[in-house]
Amino acid sequence: MNKKQHPDLCVDIGKIRLKNPVMTASGTFGYASEYAQLVDLNRIGAIIVKGLSLVPAPGNPPPRTVETPCGMLNAIGLENVGLEAFITEKLPFLKTLSPPTLVNIYGQSTDEYAELASRLNDVEGIAGMEVNISCPNVKKGGIAFGADPKSAYHLVNAVRSRTSLPMIVKLSPNVTDVTAIARNVEEAGADALSLINTITGMAIDIDTRRPKLANITGGLSGPAIKPIALRMVWQTVQCVKIPVIGVGGIMNAKDALEFLIAGATAVQVGTANFVNPRATTDIIEGIEAFLVENKISRLADLIGTLEW
Amino acid sequence: MFQDKVQVLWNRKIGPLYYKIGLGCGRGIADADPGQFIMLRLSGRIVPFLRRPFSIHRLIRNEDRTEGIEVLYRVVGECTQKLALLRPGDFVDVMGPLGKGFRIPDGVRRVFIAAGGIGVAPLLFLAFSLRKKQIDPSGCRIFLGGKTKTDLLCGEDFRSLGMAIHPTTDDGSSGEMCFVTHPLEAAVRKEPPEIIYACGPPGMLKCVVGIAEKFKVPCQISIESRMACGIGACLGCAVKGKELTEKYLHVCMDGPVFDAAAVEL
Ligand SMILES: Cc1cc2nc3c(=O)[nH]c(=O)nc-3n(C[C@H](O)[C@H](O)[C@H](O)COP(=O)(O)OP(=O)(O)OC[C@H]3O[C@@H](n4cnc5c(N)ncnc54)[C@H](O)[C@@H]3O)c2cc1C
Ligand SMILES: Cc1cc2nc3c(=O)[nH]c(=O)nc-3n(C[C@H](O)[C@H](O)[C@H](O)COP(=O)(O)O)c2cc1C
Ligand code: FES
Repeated sequence: MNKKQHPDLCVDIGKIRLKNPVMTASGTFGYASEYAQLVDLNRIGAIIVKGLSLVPAPGNPPPRTVETPCGMLNAIGLENVGLEAFITEKLPFLKTLSPPTLVNIYGQSTDEYAELASRLNDVEGIAGMEVNISCPNVKKGGIAFGADPKSAYHLVNAVRSRTSLPMIVKLSPNVTDVTAIARNVEEAGADALSLINTITGMAIDIDTRRPKLANITGGLSGPAIKPIALRMVWQTVQCVKIPVIGVGGIMNAKDALEFLIAGATAVQVGTANFVNPRATTDIIEGIEAFLVENKISRLADLIGTLEW
Repeated sequence: MFQDKVQVLWNRKIGPLYYKIGLGCGRGIADADPGQFIMLRLSGRIVPFLRRPFSIHRLIRNEDRTEGIEVLYRVVGECTQKLALLRPGDFVDVMGPLGKGFRIPDGVRRVFIAAGGIGVAPLLFLAFSLRKKQIDPSGCRIFLGGKTKTDLLCGEDFRSLGMAIHPTTDDGSSGEMCFVTHPLEAAVRKEPPEIIYACGPPGMLKCVVGIAEKFKVPCQISIESRMACGIGACLGCAVKGKELTEKYLHVCMDGPVFDAAAVEL
């Protein structure tokens, strides 16, 4: 096969080399085994697993999801199996796959984040971590750290000092100025940024006059949020030097290409997996086809080429 | 697991808001258990956005081959309204079979099935499976309930399997005027079955589970929840368990069929 037919899709996120820029977004792909019969997992660029905490977390009461125009609200509340069970029950399968596994982490305190980071540091089979400082659905932790530039700096700094693994920090859109937080997180030692997490929203049942989610509010995801995500990624790439990963409403290759052209080094596919379990691999194929059609031999030559 | 665009074979109206749709998924879903479900999406549309869960109503068999599945649905909103407009030859996207279905203990002979409204959907498939397991249909009794006579579905199908049905309606327009749980309780009291299977609205299920507990009869129920993924990835379909109260169960993986003793309704 000659080069012309197969453009180079490799991208680097800090020390992690990805064979293509398409990752799964945390919380939308379980621990990958759920999708094993539906999609060729080995073709995906990287797998980011469900948000992990030190001890198992039960999550929020139901109902936890509701469809909204061109998207959905979720208030899962970071239900997860906890560190021990993740390592013994979930990681063995992930280790059999070729894409790097990235662990999305969250804690209720700086100490918990730091402890989790240091424990993961010594676990074999983990390529890096994504620090979630942006979950809108838990009372403590999550967004409490991501809403303010100073607390974001301290948290990331604390995690950095406890791990040598590549560290992506996931930012929230529920802030006034994402660039101030992005700059601080970079300075505190993050290797990359990912954005956006979900946007806080709500929905009401007019017959019962009650919120449709038991948690009252939830996080909006899906195509409805793509323009906001794209705007925030574009703003962020202009003010940091580390790679930025675009997330939010990516359903197909066109959507992903918009983020890459805006300057994202890679993308994450979330809610789209629910609609089309092969969304990730369809997007990889679509990006490749676009590059071939436009005679671009390396994806890197497309990234950040937005003109304005 | 199967996931693909499949052809609509037929889409027949069987009552004011009820339809039966035949889906040509070939052998793709042939190994399904009764009580399992599919996640369905209208091809090429952004609204409705997410897939919707539907029980498998029965397998479509032609001689010895399975040619697809039939789904019985009630029109309630976006997806089901659009589904009702489809014609043979149109395409829908089907993923399945999903979840855990009904379990049929070896050697059961006396089986009660309670269906409330659209809840009958997975129970006809169960009745076929009971027959396939050589369980004598005269030992199987179907308690079929609905708001009004047009909500009483599949009576003929059960009868043609040789099973006796007890129809009830809230308004007395057909069968006895009472909740489906009345004749069920009376029959259980008279001679308890070895197992009760039920599917229907939450209030009815609570009542059935109460009867099963009172007479100490094993009971399996099929329950619903809002779902985004249908395969255990989103953790959206949580329900409270009775045993491990600090942990939620998930309808798409642990269910939709549960032992009545396992879930909090
Ligand atoms: C495992 C499982 C099996 C099912 N099997 C069948 C079946 O065989 N036949 C059938 O007709 N329906 C079945 N359902 C219910 C079916 O999924 C919903 O009716 C469907 O999702 C409605 O979609 P819609 O877009 O038409 O309505 P929407 O516009 O989404 O909703 C319309 C109204 O219905 C309510 N609603 C939506 N989904 C549910 C739900 N899951 N439970 C309770 N209320 C809901 C909404 O709150 C709203 O008030 C099943 C559900 C589950 C979880
Ligand atoms: C059901 C669900 C669960 C999620 N869980 C997590 C999580 O555990 N950790 C996290 O950082 N983000 C989580 N997210 C956010 C997604 O990773 C992603 O940032 C967001 O959904 C926007 O992307 P999308 O529009 O492509 O879904 C979750 C999103 C959904 C829909
Ligand atoms: S519907 Fe997603 S986990 Fe059950």
